[in-house]
Amino acid sequence: MSTQKMHIDSYERNWMIVSAVLLVLFATAVSVAAFGLGIQVPAPEQRVDPRTVATDPNSPWSNPGLREVAPGKYDAYILARAVPTWEYLPKEMTIPAGSSVSFYVTSSDVQHGFKIQDTNANFMVIPGQVSKLTITFDKPGTYNFICTEYCGSGHGVMYGAITVTP
Amino acid sequence: MAKKDKDDDEFRPTGTIAVLTIFVITLIAIWATIYMILVGRGGTL
Amino acid sequence: MNQYQVSPAEKKFIGSHLLVAILALAVGSLFGPLQAFEHAGWDFYPYLKPLIKSYYQGLTVHGVLNALVWTTFFIMGFLTFNVIFGLKRPLKNPTLNKVGFWLMVVGVVTAAIPILANQATVLFTFYPPLKASWAFYLGLTLVVVGSWVEGWGLFMTFYAWRKENPNERSPFIAFASVVTALLWQICTLGVATEILTMLLPWSLGLMENVDPQLARTYFWFTGHPLVYFWLLPAYISWYAMLPKQAGNGKMFSDTLARLSFWMFLVLSTPIGIHHQYVDPGVSPTWKFLHSMFTFGVFFPSMMTAFTVVASLEHGARKNGGKGALAWIGKLNWSDPSVATQLLAGILFFFGGIGGLANASYNVNLVLHNTAFIPGHFHLTVATAVTLSFMGISYWLVPYLTGKKLWQPKWATIQAWTWFVGMIIFSNSMHVLGLLGAPRRVPLGLAPYVPAEWNSRLIQVGIGGAILFVSGAIYLLVMLKTALNKETVEKEVEVPIAESMQDPANTPVWLDRWAPWIYGALALIVLMYGPVLFEMISNIALNAPGFGKGPIW
Ligand code: HEM
Ligand SMILES: [Cu+2]
Ligand SMILES: [Cu+2]
Repeated sequence: MSTQKMHIDSYERNWMIVSAVLLVLFATAVSVAAFGLGIQVPAPEQRVDPRTVATDPNSPWSNPGLREVAPGKYDAYILARAVPTWEYLPKEMTIPAGSSVSFYVTSSDVQHGFKIQDTNANFMVIPGQVSKLTITFDKPGTYNFICTEYCGSGHGVMYGAITVTP
Repeated sequence: MAKKDKDDDEFRPTGTIAVLTIFVITLIAIWATIYMILVGRGGTL
Repeated sequence: MNQYQVSPAEKKFIGSHLLVAILALAVGSLFGPLQAFEHAGWDFYPYLKPLIKSYYQGLTVHGVLNALVWTTFFIMGFLTFNVIFGLKRPLKNPTLNKVGFWLMVVGVVTAAIPILANQATVLFTFYPPLKASWAFYLGLTLVVVGSWVEGWGLFMTFYAWRKENPNERSPFIAFASVVTALLWQICTLGVATEILTMLLPWSLGLMENVDPQLARTYFWFTGHPLVYFWLLPAYISWYAMLPKQAGNGKMFSDTLARLSFWMFLVLSTPIGIHHQYVDPGVSPTWKFLHSMFTFGVFFPSMMTAFTVVASLEHGARKNGGKGALAWIGKLNWSDPSVATQLLAGILFFFGGIGGLANASYNVNLVLHNTAFIPGHFHLTVATAVTLSFMGISYWLVPYLTGKKLWQPKWATIQAWTWFVGMIIFSNSMHVLGLLGAPRRVPLGLAPYVPAEWNSRLIQVGIGGAILFVSGAIYLLVMLKTALNKETVEKEVEVPIAESMQDPANTPVWLDRWAPWIYGALALIVLMYGPVLFEMISNIALNAPGFGKGPIW
């Protein structure tokens, strides 16, 4: 009984080979973008206590905002919150073109999202966790950042803007 | 209970290959378009 | 032709599943068009205030009833039919299956009460620390437990058949149905753990705070294989029934069909982190590994595409189909059960493409939580699955009730309107997502919508309107069929496509269960063990809940 051989039609075998090659191709392209071009997904950064992160004077999110850490290099500490109302703190930031900004975003209540339009910054904001990505803004203009995870009835009005000056 | 039709052995799924070729071309085109958007939007490190 | 007789009691039992499923779809689908209209700027929510307080209460109803209730009930009913009819034997322990079914019904009612009372506006993903009424979590638990119990009833029946037929190859539809039920048992362990160790005690006040990142990880342990639980029953129909209906074709390869079901069982759970690529608390190493395994599960889908299309072509050629593509016209398009499923399959090609893009690690940065995502899954669960289930019901309901299908012509119109409406709706949602539009937002009111989105938002509304018409026709056809005075002359023939190769020649190892189950569990331990171990040992229960009042 167990001598039965698996029968696979030659067309189907070729199709499976094509599928495998295709997937290897995609995997390679993704790896090149990640490890060659530095387009990476967020990594664990820091854990915080969502109950005190906005109020503890030692927490950078008790005084959210932009800090210039080196010429043209900034850290942006951003608090996302639904209570008392749906907003990011700060709501607006201005930087000169060519600046590179590391965003450190956390939440003091429910889950939120953070997506800066026309960039690859797009991640979850989870209470207790700090999300970080770094973006370089070469083109002047206004970049809205919007909430992309349901956080209550004001979810659709939760946004802010980065102004990049020439 | 193998009731094989004669033509089963001769059946060559050429139409299937045609359908799937169209599919693969579409897949590559759409996937590559999105991938190029990703690359165009720049690094995150 | 004498086919195996399913007993009237069993038919009624299967039919009750379909009844609950279709009722859920009727209510749940009402909100889809309303959401689409809102996007287009036609806001009906102010008029619904007495019943439905907000866009999000409606969205919760839409997600829960469509994605969870319609699918689960239809699937459990269809799998039960396949096991009985495939094995040609009654359920081993019908009481057990009944208990499971009623647990699910009680669960749905228990969860529906707080949803309708606006006490559970947390959407169908219920990410904590959004906090719903305890009844919502309890209801979901009962649905899951009920589906487990029904699954055990199916396993016992299969086991009894195996005892009676030790040397036979298991019939494909029964085999594939039991694999699907098994996949469900394994994958729901995630959400069961989430609810039982965190959300339920927390909502009951026995626990003050939760760890939202850990909860998400449990959730997506279930969330990805969930989509295979939805899809596999449609695949069963496409593999083993549709070729017969569409032109008397035979299943191209029994061996590969079985192999792909095993691959789904083994590969679909240990890849759930592909939904968490942009979560802060999961390491990129695991994200990357899960993305590579996700490419792996695309493989059985490609095999399915080949086998199904080839089986259809086989029938079409016998009926005189010619050319590279012209043979498609020879398929039996006038049968609404065929038209629905062929159109569902066509759109599923595009659903697969979108899914592959989502799953491609950093490519997810472009798409995550944008309108692309609902665009994508309305091609998969809301079309490949839903439209196929509608197609199955076009023969299954007449089979179960003995009533003639009311106006097959209207059923065919239903198939085509869903197809056209969905193309318009889903295409515009995909494009909006690529332009940066977020999901889960009443975009008609959002302050940041640029002018370039507007024409696409209108198309969302137009697609939604066509889908509304299609959904209404489906319900009308079902209602009129249930009330039809015309009965079928003889029992509806169950469409079963024979295999081109004798199933007895399928290798025995494709009919052994233990190695595959151990393989599935081993991969889960490998791909989730370290992640969960790390998260649980560093658990931080520090997020208090937020619910009605401050949040909705
Ligand atoms: C009648 C046709 C339908 C239309 C016009 C429609 C429309 C929509 C729209 C516009 C959204 C997006 C809402 C948002 O992101 O704010 C949505 C969400 C959704 N739809 Fe549908 N839908 C339909 C049918 C279905 C069906 C049949 C299913 C499943 C079987 C389904 C499952 C879902 C799910 C799971 C969501 C996500 C809910 C969430 O984000 O929490 N829909 N639908
Ligand atoms: Cu939000
Ligand atoms: Cu998934």
